[in-house]
Amino acid sequence: MAELLQFVIAGLKSGSIYALVALGFTIVYAATGAINFAQGEFYMLGGMLGVWFVSLGLPVPVAALCAVVSAAAAGALFELAAVRPIAGGDPLRIIIVTIGGSVVLRQLALHLFGPDELTLASFTPGPSIRLFGAAIERQTLWIWALTLVAVVGLVILYRRTAFGKAMRATSLRRDAARLVGIDARAMVTASFALAAGLGALAGLAVTPLTQTAFDVGAGIGVKGFSAAILGGLGNPIAAVGGGLVLGLLESLAAGYLDPIYKDAISLIVLLAVLFLRPQGLLGGSGKEKV
Amino acid sequence: MATALAVTLGGCSPKAQTVEQPAVKAEPIKIGAIVSLTGTYAGLGDPEKKTIEMEVARINEAGGINGRPVEVIFEDDATDEAKAVTAATRLIDQDGVIALIGATGSGQTMAVRGEVDRAKIPQVSLAGATAITKIFDPLVFATPWSNTIVAPFTLEALKKAGLTKVGLITDSGGFGKDGREVVKAEAAKQGIDIVSDQTFNPGDTDMTAQLTKIKNSGAQVLLMWTAGAEAATIVKSADQLGLDMPVYGSHGNARKELIDGAGPAAEGFRFAAGKILVPAAYGVDTDAYKVATDFVTRYKAAYGDAPSTFAGHAYDALYLITEAASRVQGDLTPAALRDEIEKTNGFVGIGGTFTMSPTDHNGLSVNDLTMYEVKDGTWQTVK
Repeated sequence: MAELLQFVIAGLKSGSIYALVALGFTIVYAATGAINFAQGEFYMLGGMLGVWFVSLGLPVPVAALCAVVSAAAAGALFELAAVRPIAGGDPLRIIIVTIGGSVVLRQLALHLFGPDELTLASFTPGPSIRLFGAAIERQTLWIWALTLVAVVGLVILYRRTAFGKAMRATSLRRDAARLVGIDARAMVTASFALAAGLGALAGLAVTPLTQTAFDVGAGIGVKGFSAAILGGLGNPIAAVGGGLVLGLLESLAAGYLDPIYKDAISLIVLLAVLFLRPQGLLGGSGKEKV
Repeated sequence: MATALAVTLGGCSPKAQTVEQPAVKAEPIKIGAIVSLTGTYAGLGDPEKKTIEMEVARINEAGGINGRPVEVIFEDDATDEAKAVTAATRLIDQDGVIALIGATGSGQTMAVRGEVDRAKIPQVSLAGATAITKIFDPLVFATPWSNTIVAPFTLEALKKAGLTKVGLITDSGGFGKDGREVVKAEAAKQGIDIVSDQTFNPGDTDMTAQLTKIKNSGAQVLLMWTAGAEAATIVKSADQLGLDMPVYGSHGNARKELIDGAGPAAEGFRFAAGKILVPAAYGVDTDAYKVATDFVTRYKAAYGDAPSTFAGHAYDALYLITEAASRVQGDLTPAALRDEIEKTNGFVGIGGTFTMSPTDHNGLSVNDLTMYEVKDGTWQTVK
């Protein structure tokens, strides 16, 4: 029983991280109809920039904020420099540009931060919390809390603010949104910034547990993408669900089958969903994207 | 970077960075070096390249080898087997090297064997898998301590400490897989029980499942065999999950990044490795101590940080080749060079004292190892 509980805790921990990365995929997809394959690199940037700001002497909360904001700015810049110039916003061309962008970001990080793995101290150091024979790391609580804050914040942004409503309107019908005076191009930039910020938050929150390095982006990109597909691309709440389900599946497979198959789970899930239920587990008719 | 780009962009530039010292006017002795400057093992390949650059400059300033300067041509394999093979082909066919240093990783080292056999040039590997010298090839040598030396040494230490029920965790990559087989075979010989045998994939960020199973297996000690960044996650998680048992690792864990990454959880972590981390372990009046402290001092002066054990492997590989080259009478051919490397007898390097033979192409022994413990955020030798 304690063992099962421990596996579930680990699954929800990884799942929350996948959820944040998956959210980034859905947000960009909603705005452009394209998959942003550079999403994993912003996860990497979050951790790297966090370590860098801490090394400048900033306290952890300030460094964390700076890291997320700078990563979001990098996301916006990336969109302005590489995605916007694509005439007509053809999704296929955007996808290819993001793949190229991911290589550039990775090599840039290698040269700025070096090849070695880097570490961030736990946000609140101390022993883990025991619960019915299972242990919860304090950093795991932080990951859950930050994920919750991010998701609630995103819902409020989309449902309650004029800016969020403009983003939704653009994703629903770009031309109609432009007719009522919404700057559709700015909304695409905002979606890249938001996605990068969420990815960076995930990378930052997980660094005290796993360390970070210039090359961690590709692996998490696959996981986040699988989670987004599992939930149904374009639906943020479903992306969160997809992330948590994927994390749980992996953890239980590692616990009760063989840990070697853990990475295969996300690919199996990806293929299974694409074959059997292309709209995703929680995906509806696909009309409303965000 | 130039190499990385050249490789990723289709390899249009045949020449990688070269280290040249034009002080001596004679045809240079060309040696190829395949190291991982990008990819998983970038943290290992970087100090290896720095070491070779520094030492080549030193050799050439002192007049080269028998009046000929040494030129080392670097290629980055991006921790990728296919790229390692391409690099080897290029070094052999375009640059005409007479010996190969590398690769950084075990998989890449094994991958280039076909090219080495085709060109019949000696190869000195920087990677630690037993298979490199166990699957014997007369042309292939290796400088790191092999698992067949380190595993028995470590298990003996466990037995001495009364820890006979072992929870084993290894990675599924080359080094961990090799270590797992050697540890299991050796444990059976020494009467040590592997009560839980867990594996993980390189790049895994969560080891909860494996460590929970070891926790519930009745193990008295956690033994970890991996060379990657995951080691810090394992040491940290074991502490957080409440595994109340000592944690032992291997020579793959002799990196500062583990202490930084695991923080307070690293306190008490033990692993066997060569003596370079605390050169006093050689004994302060020995030649080995002088060679090591001299190297450490020069490396620190050149690059700021203390060298890792991987830097030491590169040092040993370069000097095994150049020392052998200096002993060759007459024409310096790859075949003559190979024969001389095999005759290496009592060469005092950084990893230990090397004595090669026609059946032993590693040349190190248990005497070159010592047990370390992490204490107050640094390594100390265990008495």
